[in-house]
Amino acid sequence: MATLLRAFALVVAGALAGLAFNAVRKERVSLALVQESTQCEGAAAAVLIDPRETASMCSRADVVIADTRPESRFAEGHVAGALHLPCDARGEVASSAMARLDGARTIVVYGERTEDARPVAETLLRRRPGADVRVLDGGFEAWSRAGLACASGACNGDCAGKP
Amino acid sequence: MKRALEWMLRLGLAALFAYAGVIKLIDTRNFSTEIANYHLLSALAPWLAVTLPAIEVALAIALVIAPVRWRRAASLAIAMLLAVFTIAVAQALARHINISCGCFGSASSPLTTLTLLRDLGLLLAAIVLMALTRRGARTPGPAIDSGR
Repeated sequence: MATLLRAFALVVAGALAGLAFNAVRKERVSLALVQESTQCEGAAAAVLIDPRETASMCSRADVVIADTRPESRFAEGHVAGALHLPCDARGEVASSAMARLDGARTIVVYGERTEDARPVAETLLRRRPGADVRVLDGGFEAWSRAGLACASGACNGDCAGKP
Repeated sequence: MKRALEWMLRLGLAALFAYAGVIKLIDTRNFSTEIANYHLLSALAPWLAVTLPAIEVALAIALVIAPVRWRRAASLAIAMLLAVFTIAVAQALARHINISCGCFGSASSPLTTLTLLRDLGLLLAAIVLMALTRRGARTPGPAIDSGR
């Protein structure tokens, strides 16, 4: 029992030291609890994926990349071969997009920034529990900054986004 | 022989936890994302990211320089932490969540069965160390530690 109490004391001391260190460091982490998004119904948090790792998976037939941004932004430029799947997709647009997602083993969604795509990723996870759904870390901004392949105009299917 | 094994486990686990703690302290923000990716207690990810690395460093220090009773407590805390890590890894593998393990911050590798086996091995090492430290505390002889 005494050993357990001492172990608890060590853990508490370490935790307090960590909180103190975070409070004084320049790049401190915000301790606000992570809130579920309210834009779309949320389920679980999706896994983040690096742009270069995404680009390396691009040629795989079982990987689908989905752009969650509005149509105008998609038309201006998007990840080569990406499917357009905005958060507010309805009717035929939504059903044809979902049909294409059916054959996918991994789905990578992105918005302008990381957080923009989370609602769509969470909706996909809610509909397909256990699916491999990932959010592009940094969104389209990071993809463009990394100089990875982009396209403009309507989605033309094949992914040519290899770096 | 047991003494040598105890020292080896002490120093090995202390070095590992100190390294893991420090490297995660350097990039806490990334560690927070990696915790959230486990889909377990995601809302608490920032709190865990801030406190866990410091706890690891504190336990590593205690394992090396603390008196014997506190060393035993540190071994117990490390064993409990490793048990939690093992459960987190096992559930992620069972759910086919393809993520980086986050065990060593930016130096982490993808989560595989090997990660689970490594965690189980470390858990076993911590339990053995706890047992050896207990024996050491009861062994009469030269008082290396006063026991407080």
